[in-house]
Amino acid sequence: MIGKSLAKDVLNAGLATGADFAEIYLEQSEVSFLMLENGKVESALSSTSYGAGIRLLNKLQSVYGYTNDLSRKGLIKLAESLAKSYSGSRLMTIENIRKVAIKNAHAYEGPLSAVSREEKIALLKEAHQVMSAYDKRIVRIQNAFSNYRKNVTIFNSDGKQFDDVKERGRMVFAAIASENGKIETGFEGPGATSGMEFFTTKIDVKETARKVAELAIKMLTASECPSGKMPVVIGNAFGGVVFHEACGHSLEATSVAKKLSVFSESLGKQIASPIVTAIDDGTIPNAWGSNNIDDEGNKTQRNVLIKDGICTSFLIDAFNGRRMGMKANGACRRESYKYEPTSRMSNTFIASGTSTPEEIISSTKLGLYAASMGGGSVNPATGEFNFACSEAYIIRDGKIAEPVRGATLIGSGADILMKIDMVANDLERAQGMCGSSSGNIPADVGQPTIRVSEILVGGRGGALK
Amino acid sequence: MNYAKFFELAKARGISASELYSSRKYSLSFELFHSEVSSYTTSESFAMSARGIYNDKFGVAITEKVDKRTPEHLVDEIIANAKVIEKDDKALLFKGSEKYHKRNMFNKEIEAISIEQKMKNLYEIEAKLKKSDPRVVEIETVQYSEEASEVNLVNSYGLNLKSRSNYYVYVASVVAKQGEEVKTGFKILLSNDPKELDIDKFVKETVEDATRKLGGSQCKSKKYPIILNQKSAADFLDPFLESASAEEVQKRSSLFIGKLDQPVASKKITISESPLTKNCFFRYFDDEGVATSNKKIVEKGLLKTYLYNLETAQREGTTTTGNGYKEGSKIGIGFVNASIKPGRKSEAELIAKIKEGVYISSVNGLHAGLNSQSGNFSLQAEGFMIRDGKIAEPLSLITVAGNLLELFLDVREVANNPELQLSGISTPSLLIKRLAISGK
Repeated sequence: MIGKSLAKDVLNAGLATGADFAEIYLEQSEVSFLMLENGKVESALSSTSYGAGIRLLNKLQSVYGYTNDLSRKGLIKLAESLAKSYSGSRLMTIENIRKVAIKNAHAYEGPLSAVSREEKIALLKEAHQVMSAYDKRIVRIQNAFSNYRKNVTIFNSDGKQFDDVKERGRMVFAAIASENGKIETGFEGPGATSGMEFFTTKIDVKETARKVAELAIKMLTASECPSGKMPVVIGNAFGGVVFHEACGHSLEATSVAKKLSVFSESLGKQIASPIVTAIDDGTIPNAWGSNNIDDEGNKTQRNVLIKDGICTSFLIDAFNGRRMGMKANGACRRESYKYEPTSRMSNTFIASGTSTPEEIISSTKLGLYAASMGGGSVNPATGEFNFACSEAYIIRDGKIAEPVRGATLIGSGADILMKIDMVANDLERAQGMCGSSSGNIPADVGQPTIRVSEILVGGRGGALK
Repeated sequence: MNYAKFFELAKARGISASELYSSRKYSLSFELFHSEVSSYTTSESFAMSARGIYNDKFGVAITEKVDKRTPEHLVDEIIANAKVIEKDDKALLFKGSEKYHKRNMFNKEIEAISIEQKMKNLYEIEAKLKKSDPRVVEIETVQYSEEASEVNLVNSYGLNLKSRSNYYVYVASVVAKQGEEVKTGFKILLSNDPKELDIDKFVKETVEDATRKLGGSQCKSKKYPIILNQKSAADFLDPFLESASAEEVQKRSSLFIGKLDQPVASKKITISESPLTKNCFFRYFDDEGVATSNKKIVEKGLLKTYLYNLETAQREGTTTTGNGYKEGSKIGIGFVNASIKPGRKSEAELIAKIKEGVYISSVNGLHAGLNSQSGNFSLQAEGFMIRDGKIAEPLSLITVAGNLLELFLDVREVANNPELQLSGISTPSLLIKRLAISGK
C-alpha cells in the first residue's frame, strides 16, 4: 500500500516530539456478503475498506489517528498532527526498515475471495432446502455467507515491517419457527480462517441446517424456564461463551493494567476450582480466532491463563504491558485501522477434564442443562455477567427432562469459576464475534460440558419444582 | 470521485438508474486516566456506497478507496451482485419528495471551543469525581469525543441531498467500594449544544450511579409491580418498535401482525416518531432520499401505522413513510427520535402508589436476553426495592423476565419526566402492573 521510504518518513514525522514508539497499520480488505431469505438471494454486497492508523506512544500515553488518505501528504499530515500532542524532543530517528518474514500457519486450498458467488449460493441453497423441509412451522429462514481477505502491513519504529494476509469465511444458518403466536429461533454460525474446503468438507452443512431447524421447533413446545438458584450444567462448544465473558475479558490487560479488573492482583493465586485449566490459543491452525501475527506484529501464541485453578497469565499487548511491567504475548487485536489496538482474546477455551458428559448429567438430581447459549455481556470491574440460553432443559433425577425457554444465567465471574465442580472430556470450540474497545473481532469460545454447583437462573416459569 | 463518470459508465453498461451515497466523518477523542491523557484519537474517513438497478435488481458496492479506477470498480461490482439477486421485488430508486424540511443542525460552537478548554473540562470532572465521595476508589475513565459528518446522496434522476451534523460526548466511569463490595457507575452526555454540559451535575450523577448500588442484595423471586426508569423504559421501547417495521410484519416475525388500529399497548401509551425534532439526531431525509415527517405510531394504545421504506411500501401498494435506513448491505427500516408522550404525575407519585415493588434503574444483556421477534425477555437488572411507596434498599444481580407486548399492555401510569437517551429515544418513567423478578 505504501513503500518503505514513505513509511520511514511518516514514522520520523511522528517521532519528532519525543514519542518513544511509532507505528503505521495499513489495511485493505475486500469483503463479500451474500444472504438468502427464504431460499432466495436477497442481498449481495461487495465492500472495500482501505486506510491507515498511526499510533504514537510516549511512556504511558498513546495517541492514535486514522485516515483513508494514504498519499504522502495525507499520512505526513496525520503523523504531524498526532505528534503535536507531545511536547518533548526527538528521541530517535528511523534509518532502516527490515521486513520480518511471517510463516503462514493457516494454509488453505484456495482463497474464498476467488470462489464464485454462484458456488457459495449453491451451498446456501442446500442448507435452506433442509431447513424448509424440516417442518411447516418454520416460517422464516436466513442463510448467509460472508468472507473477507484482509491485507495488512505494519511498520514500526523498531525498524520492522510485517506483511500478512488474512482469509476468513463464515456461514450463518438462522430459522424462525412460529405457532399460535409463539416465536422461537435457531442459529448456528460456523466459520474459519480457511478456504472453501472448510464449508464443503470440514462441516456438514445439511446436518447443521437440520439441527438449527430442530432447535427452533423444539423450543416452540418448551415451557417457560423456572427461576432461582440451581445447579447448572453448561453444554460444550458455544457454552464456553460463559467463560469468555465472565472471566476472559477480566484477564485482558486492557482492564488488568489499570487495576480495573477483579483479577488485577490474581497472578499466582487461585481464582478457579482446581479442576479448571483455561487457555487462549491464537495459533490453532485454521481456527476462526487464529492469526499468524497479532495487530502489532507479535507472533500469536498459546497462553495458559488458568492452570489447575491458579491464574498463570494475562492477555497482554505492548502498551498495557508497559503499565504492568510485563511483556506482550501476541494478544493485541483490532477490528480495523479505525481502532487503536488492545489486548483481546483469540480462541479461548476451558481444557478437557476427566468426567464424561453422561456422568455429569446423571449425578445432577435437579437443575438446568444449558445445552446451548446465546450471547451475553459482562462488567469487567465487578465481573457481573448475564447470558441467554438458546437451548435448555430441566435435569430431573439425573436425566434430561423437559425443554425450557427464556432462561438467563446471571452471576459474577470470580464466583462461578470457583463453583465449577465437574469438567467433562468433550472439548469443542464454536465461533463468535467479540465486541470490545478495539471493535468486533472473530473469536472462538470453547469448553467441554461443565457443571456449576449454583447459578442464578432468570426465567418466567416460577420456582423450580 | 468523479460522479459524472460513474453515472455515465453505469448507464452505458445497462444500469437503468443508480445512486451514490457518500459520507465523510471527522472525529476527535481523548481520555484521562490518573490525571494524564492516556489516549488521544483523531480521524478523517470517507466511504462511498453505490447502488444501481440492473435488470430490475439492485446491485450494491461500497468502497473507502477512491482513485481513478473507482467508478469502473463500483459499476463492475453492482452488475455482478445484481446478477445473483433473486428477490421478486422490482428495485426502486427515488426521484424526490415534493418538499424537504431542510435545517442546518451543524453547531459551529462545538469546534469553536479550543481543545485546551475541552481538556480542562475533563481535568475538572476528574478532580471533582475524586473529591466527591470517600467510597469512590477509582476513576476508570473520563473521556471527551466529538464527531462531525457530511452526507451526500446523489442519484441518476437528479436528486441531490446534503446534510451536515455534529455532536459531542462526555463519558465518566467510576468504581465505588464498600468493604469487599465493588460497584461501577457511569454517565454519558451526548449533545450538539455545548451549553448542556453542567460539570457539577454530571459529576454528581456519575458518582450516584455507583454509590447508590452499594449494599445491594437480591430480593425474593416473585412477580412485583415495577417502575421502569427512563433509561430502562427506552431500552424496552427500542425493540418494541422493531415490530412496527413493515419488513418484520411482511416476513411474519413481528408482534404487530394484523394489529393496525388494534391495541398493542395500554391506553396510557402514545408513541411518536419525530425525526424533525431539533436535536443531534435530526434527519430531514432518510437513506433513500425520502423526506421524513413526524408521526404517531401508537395513539392511546392503538397501533396507527407501520413504518415503510420504498420496497415494503411497493409490496403493499402504499407509500413509504420515510423510514428507509441503511442496515449493512440493504435499506432496512428504522426510526429517529422516537418518544413516549409524558403523563402528568411525577415519578415519586408513581412510586407512592406501590406498597411492595421493584424500581428498575438499568437492564443489561439486551442483545442476547431479549428476542424482539417473540418479545420474550429475561435480563440482568439493577434497581431498588420499593417499600410503602418509597425507594428502599438497592438490588443487584436480579433478573427481570417477561414479554414486550404484555409489558406495554400492562403500563398503568406514565410519568412526566422524559429523558433523551443515547439511542435517540425519549421516554418518561413507566409504572408496570407486574413483572417476574428473580433473585434469592
